[in-house]
Amino acid sequence: MPENSGRYQQHNRRNQKKECPVIDENNVVLKSFQSYGLELDAKHDRNERIVKLSRDITIESKRIIFLLHSIDIRKNNKEKVLQEAQTRLEKVISTNFKAVAEELCGHDPYQFRWAYSPGLQEFIEAYTFMEYIKNAEYDESCSGGSDAEMSDWTELQKKMTYSKKSEDNEEEFSFFIDPTEYILGVSDLTGELMRRCIISLGSGEIVFCLIAKMILQKIFTGYIGLNVHRCRELSRKIFTMRQSVLKAENVCYNVKVRGCEAAKWKDIFDNKPGDDIDEGF
Amino acid sequence: MNFVNLSLFENYQKYIDNEQEMRENIRVVVREIESLAKEATIQLQVIHCDLEKIDYACAGARKQISACADSYKKLAAIIPIGQYYKYSDHWTFITQRLVFIIAMVVYLEAGFLVTRETVAELLGLKTNQAEGFHLDIEDYLMGILQMASELSRFATNSVTMADYDRPLNISRFMADLHSGFRLLNLKNDGLRKRFDALKYDVKKIEEVVYDITIRGFRNAGVTNAAELPTST
Repeated sequence: MPENSGRYQQHNRRNQKKECPVIDENNVVLKSFQSYGLELDAKHDRNERIVKLSRDITIESKRIIFLLHSIDIRKNNKEKVLQEAQTRLEKVISTNFKAVAEELCGHDPYQFRWAYSPGLQEFIEAYTFMEYIKNAEYDESCSGGSDAEMSDWTELQKKMTYSKKSEDNEEEFSFFIDPTEYILGVSDLTGELMRRCIISLGSGEIVFCLIAKMILQKIFTGYIGLNVHRCRELSRKIFTMRQSVLKAENVCYNVKVRGCEAAKWKDIFDNKPGDDIDEGF
Repeated sequence: MNFVNLSLFENYQKYIDNEQEMRENIRVVVREIESLAKEATIQLQVIHCDLEKIDYACAGARKQISACADSYKKLAAIIPIGQYYKYSDHWTFITQRLVFIIAMVVYLEAGFLVTRETVAELLGLKTNQAEGFHLDIEDYLMGILQMASELSRFATNSVTMADYDRPLNISRFMADLHSGFRLLNLKNDGLRKRFDALKYDVKKIEEVVYDITIRGFRNAGVTNAAELPTST
């Protein structure tokens, strides 16, 4: 029967067809897909390496922030801790970020933005927090504390410029900091300032509470002045920032109303200043 | 207490305003490309109801494609060097659409899979990122996958229009495409999801081929089809 033989042939042919491309090296489609595959793999590998580097930066930055929070007037360790934090931050710049910059050399930094952005933001948070402790917190017993301002993205970028020695000449390359990443990083700083404000209350450094509150308010003013569309991440952070500001303001309010001893014992974390405030009188 | 300098925020506002303006400029050009591509898509729809008009539709689509190339030139002039991926979300979708249209046209005209280089050339783009405004590889692959589902629809419709050889060619072509994609190590992303849908397209075409074969619709075509592989 013609139908039968036809079907048999067809069946056979199709089977061969399926096997064929895997073996056939002359197949144009497969050849081009092989090169596409190589390109995709290279891109994924680079992405993966940057993610790893970024994760290391995140971990180290979180540790540095933790370290900075351990500064306590009662232990008189400001000088030492600050010194250590600073060296560790320098080390992150000179090794980890250098590695990321090397990976990105000759590539579009925005292409791998999602790979390195968590690390970068955490680092910016740690760095500016270190600067805050160093420059904004005056203390008679310790030296340090100056009128220096917080570094902005151009200054940080300058720190992340490296030189590469090739055979005949020295090449400069740098880690590119997108201003938006910087702004997002600084918005995380406000959370640390709020914690610092509360920790200072615990150790009785009322001046620091007031300083932290003031800086928080100033940063918050800057942020709500921004007119940014398209960045949902930022508006979410501004919302959180508002809560941090309220907490810090509440701490300072309690300090004023009850004096520092009483404030320590009261539940200062709740956001309801209207509740039993006159209890202390 | 001068720790925070408010000029920081002013600078950032300036930066963001520039970016905003850039995005608006991009959007104008992208909209232009979108309407051209829509025109081409509409013209190509005719293949599902009239096989005679395929050549005509391809010619029409090609005209739109070359018009798109001009718009891409404009777009390339706007984007600063090294910021392709900062703004690329504005045009990835439409670029995938155009890859799809081009791949469709080339398949209808010549019966083979268009390479990334050819697509880039037709749109006036580069293939290498370092050379400037380029065709991203993932956009290319996404466009090709879109073509695959369109072809499976086309196969069904060509049976309706009594063209029984076409589904066979398409089936063979899709098998190649499928094994091509299997060579890639896809991450668990959009491309991977889209690729997972390819096997349903392949399956659908195989069923169409089975249907017409078991009914003996293409008796005459058997010898023809046996000769065809050299041409693909």
